[in-house]
Amino acid sequence: MTDIEYNDCVDNFADGVYRFIVKNIRHPEDAQDIVQSAFEKLWVNRAQVLPEKAKSYLFTVAYHEMIDHIRKSNKMPLEEETSIPHEPINQGHVELKQVLMRAVNQLNPTQKSLVLLKDYEGYSYQEIAEIMNLSESQVKVYLHRARLILKNKLSAYASIAS
Amino acid sequence: MQLNESTYETIFLLYIDNELSHKERLEVEAFIVDNPGYALEMEALKATVLNVENIPYAFKENLKHQLVETSLETLEEDWNTNYASVLKEEVQKIPGLSTSFKHSLKKATVSEGIMIQPLRFNQHKFTYAAIAACLMVFIGYQQLTKSQLSDSQVSSSSATNSMVSNSLATNSNIVLVPNVSSASTKSEVTIISKTNKQELVNNIKPITKTKKEILILEKLNTSELEIAKTNRNASIAITEPTPNNSILNTQGIITKLPTSYNNPITIDAMVENTTEERVTTSYELIETEDPNRTISIANFEIDGAAFRGITRRVSAILKRNKSEKEK
Repeated sequence: MTDIEYNDCVDNFADGVYRFIVKNIRHPEDAQDIVQSAFEKLWVNRAQVLPEKAKSYLFTVAYHEMIDHIRKSNKMPLEEETSIPHEPINQGHVELKQVLMRAVNQLNPTQKSLVLLKDYEGYSYQEIAEIMNLSESQVKVYLHRARLILKNKLSAYASIAS
Repeated sequence: MQLNESTYETIFLLYIDNELSHKERLEVEAFIVDNPGYALEMEALKATVLNVENIPYAFKENLKHQLVETSLETLEEDWNTNYASVLKEEVQKIPGLSTSFKHSLKKATVSEGIMIQPLRFNQHKFTYAAIAACLMVFIGYQQLTKSQLSDSQVSSSSATNSMVSNSLATNSNIVLVPNVSSASTKSEVTIISKTNKQELVNNIKPITKTKKEILILEKLNTSELEIAKTNRNASIAITEPTPNNSILNTQGIITKLPTSYNNPITIDAMVENTTEERVTTSYELIETEDPNRTISIANFEIDGAAFRGITRRVSAILKRNKSEKEK
């Protein structure tokens, strides 16, 4: 990877990596640090990283950095409790999007990362498996479980709202 | 792909995850058209898909700013093109820096070393120095003994002087002439001896620095003592007539005395019997209240000519040693 290609990676993938991290840990400053660390590693290993693999490399590094950060800080459950406004489900004016995000935040980190990587970045099962160091079948099963959890939560909200 | 009640959920999930091929997707859509009851199920699953949000990362430029090498290259090019030549010209303008400083840096040969000889003991020099030191000590001791001899001679001469003074005192030829010519109120008494001491006078050489202070308190007769006592600040000049009526250089001056000395009178006398020794001696005798106790203060000076002779000998020895060594 040349320096220009590295700059292109910064332009193209920095937003996605930051969004993926900040949606997971819900802490902007820590997410910025993780993104910076990911790009630093990409810069250091730019000779070994192919340009077409740069995106998955960045997400892989960022994901593992995030896991380490979660393990060290262990403040994700607390943030989930504090940062998300608890709006009563029976209020009809609550948008479906916010309900969905609240439901996503209630998933476990693996399922949440699977959903985010799939929906936001459009990765295939195989790519997600590479990023998260899982098998493709594990990704498929975990993601389907997460979808069903979200569907049940949305269905519950819809039934209460109606 | 077989769509039925047991498999539709998995296939629908694959459908919303875009994991189906185009043909499979068409089959799923056809199944939903044929079975409208599954359409709500498909909509519920589609509702779980997150909409893409645009969350920009605000520090992209900082990440790009870490590309140091590119910036350094451009800076280096800019430096070489714009500033390096200017700096080189400015350095060349500094006098002494462009030529001499560079030449000093480009020194090709090693500078000559200076051999420092160790300090060695020179036996010859030490021998000569020891001899010279012994000579100086010997000559100094000799001068000291001579001065002691002269002291004894001076004491004898003072005795003769006292005798002379006694004789002068008893001599009817001595005329005491009060000298009132001085502007001050001090009274001076001039003792003029008419005795013939021409031979002694002729032996006297005019030495300006030779002085002897001799206390001749008890040697003076009572009349002189009384005069001296009454005139503490008076001076007595002993003058003798010379053939051409000149005043003799020999002077006896009664110096000013402190009161605590029990009226001692010190007379400076020019004693000429020490001219052969060419040594200047001065004495000061101070009597105390105890008559058996007298304080004597003496100092001697070695004549410069004699000391010059010593130094001349030592320098001759050293020169000889040096010439021999050079040969």
